Amino acid sequence: MLVPRRTRLLAHLPGRRRAVAAGAAALALAATAACSGADPAGNTAADAGPPVSGGTLSFALAIDPTCLDPQQYGLNASLNIGRQLVDSLTDQDPATGEIKPWLAQSWEVNPQATAFTFKLRPGVTFSDGTPVDAAAVKANFDTVATLGAKAVIASGYLVGYQGATVVDPSTVRIEFKAPSAQFLQATATVSLGLLSTATLAKTPEERCLGALVGSGPFVFGSYKANQSVEITRRAGYAWGSPLWTKSGEAYLDKVVYKIIPESGVRAGALESGQVDAISDIQPQDEARFATGYRVVTRPNPGFVFALQPNAARPVLDDERVRQAIQKAVDRPELSKTVLSPLYKPATSVLAAVTPGYTDLSAALAYDPEGAKRILDAAGWVPGADGIRAKDGRKLSLDVVFGSAFNASQSVLELVQQQLKRVGVDLRLRKLAIGDQNNVIAAGDFDFTYYNVTRADPDVLRVIFGTQGTNRGRLPAGPQDTALTQQAQLVDPAARAAQVAEAQRQLVDRGYAIPLFELAQVHGFSAKVQGVTLDASSRLTFHDTWIKG
Amino acid sequence: MVTAVERLPVPPQDAKKPVAPTDPAGPASRGRRLARRAGTAARFVAARPGLLVSCVVVALVLLAAVAPGLLAGGDPLTGTPAERLQGPSAEHLFGTDQLGRDLFTRVVHATSLSLRATALAVAVSLVVGGSLGLVAGFVGGALDDAVMRLVDVLQAIPRLLMSLAVVTALGFGTTKVAFAVGIAAAAGFARVMRAEVLRVRQAEYVEAARACGVRPSGVLLRHVLPNAWGPVLVMAALEFGTAILAVSALSFLGFGATPPTPEWGALVSDGRNFVATAWWLTTFPGLVIAATVLSANRISRALDTERGDDR
Repeated sequence: MLVPRRTRLLAHLPGRRRAVAAGAAALALAATAACSGADPAGNTAADAGPPVSGGTLSFALAIDPTCLDPQQYGLNASLNIGRQLVDSLTDQDPATGEIKPWLAQSWEVNPQATAFTFKLRPGVTFSDGTPVDAAAVKANFDTVATLGAKAVIASGYLVGYQGATVVDPSTVRIEFKAPSAQFLQATATVSLGLLSTATLAKTPEERCLGALVGSGPFVFGSYKANQSVEITRRAGYAWGSPLWTKSGEAYLDKVVYKIIPESGVRAGALESGQVDAISDIQPQDEARFATGYRVVTRPNPGFVFALQPNAARPVLDDERVRQAIQKAVDRPELSKTVLSPLYKPATSVLAAVTPGYTDLSAALAYDPEGAKRILDAAGWVPGADGIRAKDGRKLSLDVVFGSAFNASQSVLELVQQQLKRVGVDLRLRKLAIGDQNNVIAAGDFDFTYYNVTRADPDVLRVIFGTQGTNRGRLPAGPQDTALTQQAQLVDPAARAAQVAEAQRQLVDRGYAIPLFELAQVHGFSAKVQGVTLDASSRLTFHDTWIKG
Repeated sequence: MVTAVERLPVPPQDAKKPVAPTDPAGPASRGRRLARRAGTAARFVAARPGLLVSCVVVALVLLAAVAPGLLAGGDPLTGTPAERLQGPSAEHLFGTDQLGRDLFTRVVHATSLSLRATALAVAVSLVVGGSLGLVAGFVGGALDDAVMRLVDVLQAIPRLLMSLAVVTALGFGTTKVAFAVGIAAAAGFARVMRAEVLRVRQAEYVEAARACGVRPSGVLLRHVLPNAWGPVLVMAALEFGTAILAVSALSFLGFGATPPTPEWGALVSDGRNFVATAWWLTTFPGLVIAATVLSANRISRALDTERGDDR
């Protein structure tokens, strides 16, 4: 029932693209900015003049991408590069969450959400000249499935993958063993971007180092670990996403990524003009770029930064303790004190830009008195040092966290102070990524602290579903039923109802203590125009140009 | 030539160590002598203003380590979010951090942990390095060769790198950091100790002690060690400054105490993301470390050379 509407939409598309391309560039750019929620700095494109082609954009990354292959790796830095190199079957409108055609002209989903048939756009080629046809698409999905755990994010999108069938050279059908309503959105992500069959034949390690041939608006140039990555414009590119404003090739000749891990140095590099743009502006540096720069920002969709309790641990297996902690966290204070207004206090387990988000701010209000009452009722009595205890056991809990997001430690130190006010002791355990994974696998923790970016509510099933990773060791319950249900529903309204129920259950039962919404905050010098963030808050440079 | 028999009854103690006086003239004379000595020390220090400042700095640092509450009565762990990132003022001498905690209070309370780690590190290198050098020098032969080649290998590895390797193997925490720093510095102590032991071992009173049938362990502990440890102890004083830096470096890299417990190195590290907007966060802890290291070095230099010149 959904499919005809999509096809109808498609019929209007070429016209719309023509109109956009022919229209004033200024108007088009303003529209893009509105779409992505970007450009709050008030630098309107109207005074930038007509876009010009050419030039090199130098962009400072906060972290070495480590592995450039978007199918394998999940680091923001790698995905922001990978997004320029590969195209996806579909694209997602950041404003509405709607799935739009890209390399697939149209698609059909069977009512059980187990089979997805894509009709491919003709004339698309990888940069090695081979066509993007049904066989290539099948090879991509088959490879991701065999990569397994190496494909950190993509393998999660293909859970239950049964196989792909080449119906004809331009039609491919992907089938799943179980309903997988999330898959359509997954095809819009860079993690399921398409690579040439020659690339797929290479070893995962070779692909990581940059042996990547995609069909995207840019072509891989070079990668020096911990130093730089270069990509150049793809000549003859003519199959951009309908959400982009420029048709045909990208404006920029070249993008040079420089790796500058120290945030102060990175900010200084932009101020002194050594680079045109930087990623990950820290909250404390935002004021430096308030005027004269273009700050491109968008909250990350998906699971917000949260404390995830280990529900199998003594103490935290008591729902009342989790609920008390839920009330004891002052989320607006986090945003105000250690972050900035760009990082919104969490109002659900999902970020507000995620399709299917439900506002639960009432249930997440700061209520220290309520928290104390619950703990009193549960038998936790304040001791001499202010920390509560019960049966000789202190209410002391640890949280395992890493340093992927710079301000994490400050955030947790403030949460620690907030919990102390109600008599809960939070111990901070900062671990390297490897140690963190070991500790989590062994279940030797009270809380973990992380976020997961995904512009689809199915992210909750992957995290909290008893069939998913289930780090929190949740028992089966109403939240599990709702999460399983939403995976089987193709109808958006019916699916949203189940997603809302799941969010409510997770918050009410304290299976997650949401804290704040992560935001991508990138800074650009004023001469850089037309930068957009896609629905997953990844940078796209196809429409970007530099004012001479 | 002085014969061994004449020297035997009183092995020469460390020349710098005052011999316990048996004062026939009574308490009055002792008081005069103490007063004279105090006067000499005061003149000695007064003639060197740099040394005077160093002594004051070290005294303050020691006070902070022993009784932090006297210098800063506030809570180093809990802040007032409304007072975040305020510059230095009369109310907040060093300013406040991103959580509104008073930085001066945090620096003062960090002293105890950082100093304890430093003292432990120096003790570890003194005991480990000293014992290796003592045994190697005294026993000689194949054991000497084996131990000193091991020391050569240790010295071939840059000390910070060595500390990093050890702390990675041991895990995080202040005590482990101290141990790692101590082990990495042990090689230097072993060398100096061995050199001294080799010199003392040839002395007539040692030969005499042997000739009189003193057991090897007795010779080692009663005759060799007390006469060989002077330079090693001075080296330990010098080492103190280096160890503060090394401990701070490791805690800067995140190997130290768990947050929010303050440590000097960690305070500098936490503040470095704020250099452009809140310079005081990294500047003041950095200055405190620098002042302490310089003071420790100044004092150890005075102990090592100048005291001798003055006498």
